[in-house]
Amino acid sequence: MRTPLLELRGVSKELPSGGRTLRILDAIDLSIAAGEFAAILGPSGSGKSTLLGLMAGLDRPTRGEVLLEGEAIHRMTEDELALLRRRKVGFVFQSYQLLSNLTARENVLLPLELTGQAGAGARATELLAAVGLGERGHHYPSQLSGGEQQRVALARAFGTRPPLLLADEPTGNLDSATGASILDALVRLRSESGTTLVLVTHDPAVAALADRRVHLRDGRIERDETAS
Amino acid sequence: MNGGLFFRQLVRESRGSRGRLAFFAACLGTGVAAVVAVAGLSGALEESVRSQARPLLGADLAVESFQPFPAAAESAVAALPGTRTRSEELVTVLYEPGAAAAVEGAPPRSLLVELKAVEAPYPLAGELRLEPDRPLADLLPPDGLVAHPDVLRRLGVAVGGDVSLGGAPFRVTGTIASEADRLAGSFRLGPRVFVSRAGLARTSLAGFGSRVTRRILVNLPEGTDVPAARRRVSALREQLDGVPGVRVESWLDGQPELRQAIRRTSRFLGLVALASLLVGGVGVAQTVRAWIASRLDALAILRCLGVTSRETVLLYGVQTAGLGLVGSLLGAVAGIGLVAAVGHTYSDLLPPGGLDPWQPAALLRGLGLGVGVSVLFGLPALLAVRRVPPVRVFRHDAEPLPASRGLRLAAAALLLAGVGLTAWVQSGLPRVAVSFTLGLAASALLLFLAAHALLRLVARVPRERLPFALKSGLSALSRPGAGTVGSILALGLGTLVVLQIALVQRDFSRQLTADLPRNAPTAFLLDVQPDQWPGVAALLSANGATRTLSVPVVTARLTAVDGTPTAELAKRRAGDSRRERWALTREQRLTYMTELPEDNRVVAGALWSDPSAAEVSLEEEFAGRIGAKVGTWLDFDVQGVPLRLKVTSLRSVDWRTFGINFFLVVEPGVLEKAPQLRLAAARLPSAHEGRIQDLLAREFPNVVLIRTREVLERVAAIATRLGKAVRVLGAFSVLAGLVILAGSISAASARRAREAALLKVLGVTRGGVATALAVEYALVGLVAGLVGTLGATLLAGSVLTAAFEVSFRPSPLLLAATPLAVALLAAAAGLAVSLRALQVRPLEVLRGE
Ligand SMILES: Nc1ncnc2c1ncn2[C@@H]1O[C@H](COP(=O)(O)OP(=O)(O)O)[C@@H](O)[C@H]1O
Ligand SMILES: [Mg+2]
Repeated sequence: MRTPLLELRGVSKELPSGGRTLRILDAIDLSIAAGEFAAILGPSGSGKSTLLGLMAGLDRPTRGEVLLEGEAIHRMTEDELALLRRRKVGFVFQSYQLLSNLTARENVLLPLELTGQAGAGARATELLAAVGLGERGHHYPSQLSGGEQQRVALARAFGTRPPLLLADEPTGNLDSATGASILDALVRLRSESGTTLVLVTHDPAVAALADRRVHLRDGRIERDETAS
Repeated sequence: MNGGLFFRQLVRESRGSRGRLAFFAACLGTGVAAVVAVAGLSGALEESVRSQARPLLGADLAVESFQPFPAAAESAVAALPGTRTRSEELVTVLYEPGAAAAVEGAPPRSLLVELKAVEAPYPLAGELRLEPDRPLADLLPPDGLVAHPDVLRRLGVAVGGDVSLGGAPFRVTGTIASEADRLAGSFRLGPRVFVSRAGLARTSLAGFGSRVTRRILVNLPEGTDVPAARRRVSALREQLDGVPGVRVESWLDGQPELRQAIRRTSRFLGLVALASLLVGGVGVAQTVRAWIASRLDALAILRCLGVTSRETVLLYGVQTAGLGLVGSLLGAVAGIGLVAAVGHTYSDLLPPGGLDPWQPAALLRGLGLGVGVSVLFGLPALLAVRRVPPVRVFRHDAEPLPASRGLRLAAAALLLAGVGLTAWVQSGLPRVAVSFTLGLAASALLLFLAAHALLRLVARVPRERLPFALKSGLSALSRPGAGTVGSILALGLGTLVVLQIALVQRDFSRQLTADLPRNAPTAFLLDVQPDQWPGVAALLSANGATRTLSVPVVTARLTAVDGTPTAELAKRRAGDSRRERWALTREQRLTYMTELPEDNRVVAGALWSDPSAAEVSLEEEFAGRIGAKVGTWLDFDVQGVPLRLKVTSLRSVDWRTFGINFFLVVEPGVLEKAPQLRLAAARLPSAHEGRIQDLLAREFPNVVLIRTREVLERVAAIATRLGKAVRVLGAFSVLAGLVILAGSISAASARRAREAALLKVLGVTRGGVATALAVEYALVGLVAGLVGTLGATLLAGSVLTAAFEVSFRPSPLLLAATPLAVALLAAAAGLAVSLRALQVRPLEVLRGE
């Protein structure tokens, strides 16, 4: 068995709500191997986004441990987490989350610049071409369609070749044809770079592409199926 | 993040917010412009006064006395190296010889002049140009006289003609083309006339009772540097300290009284400018808050991409400081422009050199305060940047975590300290700075409490039955993230500062322009011999003079206070200002009367209340200067006769009546036998002034008539202009403040545009949305206005009036109208921003997010 890239041990997330506590995630144990493509499924409100946030250190678990490449990220300070994400984690969101005051190209460039990689410009050009937006680099997000914005987000996420890529319903806001082409691009880029991918979706067709399907319900893992 | 990326990211971050950032710069620029203009103006004025000082004095230093110089003074001056010369100056009347009785309408036959008797070399400093263009000494044989062309014109005499001065005939040998030692616009009693000292000796003018200012002018040897000159001057002062009636002036002091006056006014205006700056600061705070609120999503994405919170804080902090610098630079340029404009507009009131708008110290002050204010006022909002939760990428409404209590307190303390420092720099008075800051802090606390009280109240109101607009307006106030407390704080403090300027400048300018009393005398008569008075009085009343009044004047010297010789007291008070020591040693003028004039008020003791002693009543400030209280014994030397008087009352005098007033008033029955003259005042009909002067000149040639009508009118004109200037600057600050406040309300309410659109999607009419917004903002404005008005009244009443001796009479109407006006302003500004959102189709707003 391969060493786990990401490991969650007994992770719970609770939020105070009024006088009571709201349990969003309840004792999640989950291990993602390097190079694996895992889909997380579940109805809306089941805690998928919250789980993804914990994996990236965007949020802290109330209890439990989160280990990324063996590092206990639940113990890191905010700034250590930021530096960790910079090097190791890429993101794709349902609502694209491009920086609206940056052009498409600048959006792709930013993570590369942050890590101080040489040849950032060439890499950005290459990525934009790979998602079919070679000519649109100078456009601002507001000048792009939803599908195009999500392509830029893909290019941005893969730019620094992060070991872990997290995608939260990347096709949720798109029509099915556009969604399919985005998914295509995502799968292609992943197989080229060998990135570990955790993808949240409630579309079984999307989940079918994954090596593994983790079903979430009411903050618990209901089922964990590995494709044969 | 390396430097290059940091800078690139700075520029990128500003995209899309440039309008808002321009508003930021404008807020700050307005305040900085005011600061630079006021500081630059006073700096330029002082500089100009100082540069005029040497030509004005006519030498490096002057030793001055109203009496012939005592031997001690003579020998001290004789020991100084360098060139010296002497002059005598007095105000007197010049006559056309053999003047016949005055005829109405004919040119006057006599003229009040400022006479200066000089000897070669003259002048020692500054330029004196004559017509014909020859040295003064050549034109001044003992019977020669050089006069300002006005004299000749007004007397109808030409060069070569004859005039009479103090009973002796003189021939006019030339005219003055320009004289450096007369400041344009300075206080003058008449045109200048020069004679030689030998010429003055031929007249009867320097005798007993005349007010001759004697000067020995000294130029230190060529090449004496400023520190050496300073040492010489202070050494000489020390030597002459005990010598009564002698004082030393040097150009190094450069008209201390004038500079003092400039400083006092500039301090007041400095506080007005401070207020502008603080309102600008409020604008900055609100803009930064709104700016960052609009950037929260982007900040969350950045955090997600691995930008550390330190880097984001730095990014926005540097951006804020940079904007502060840009705004301050723009403001500084505007400030320089203002100084230049003032110099241009008021050139007739200013010294001939004009003003130099380039004042580096003022610029530095403006830039420093501007950047400081932008960072300090931006700080509370910047704290939010640090705590933007990255999970916001999943949940849009995840608000920044509140900063820790300690951090918030530290930011508040820093802000307060900054305000205090700024107030200190601007007012130059630590006392004012401390009370100003504390007052502001107390008001902020009050606003904070009031805001919370409002929220609690709103939560209690049963809303179910209310009409929709009211219900939704009220609930908008209290929902999380509404920023109601912040808005009330900002708006309230802004109101406070703006209203305070409005209140104080009103009283300050009213005081400046206060109508000169209608019955102020228009002429004074000096040197009337007691036996001449009935004749003079008859002459005056025959020519229509009214409110004629005369008092006896006895000159004397104060020799001891409670037994301590004044010379010794003066030495002991070496640390005090020269003016204070001068009060002890100069020649004193005493009068006696039974009842005090109307403009006097006894403030301590009781008038003529001690039957066992010869009593004197002192003007209170003078008493302070010589260190006397009720019960103090004063010893005088009345022209050789010792006299001991007991202080039994202190008086306050309203000098603004321009009436005859004395520091020292003696009980009747003490001084009647002493050698004395009379001083008289009267209102003369302006048509007869010339004739009265001519008649006096013929019948009582020793009497000097000083006409003050012109001076009074001049003073009134200058005061009116100054008052206008203060009002204009104040109004500018108030107006700028209102604009900034309206703008900052808009800035804070920009995100309401989205909600307005949403409400429309849900089927609320435009009117309904607008009313809901109006209710919300009007409530915020009302609370802020009420507390702000209260704070402004208290602060203006205590701090500023105490510092500037302005009587504080706030207009009840203004106080009542302010909270309502602020509520209206807030509602209008809030609606103005939502206007676009109300007009366009909702989808556009929602998409444009
Ligand atoms: N900060 C929060 N405050 C209150 N409730 C929250 C917060 N974050 C998540 N939740 C709740 O937790 C549940 C799971 O949310 P989320 O992880 O976004 O679900 P999913 O992505 O599966 O739709 C939801 O019911 C949501 O309302
Ligand atoms: Mg979700």
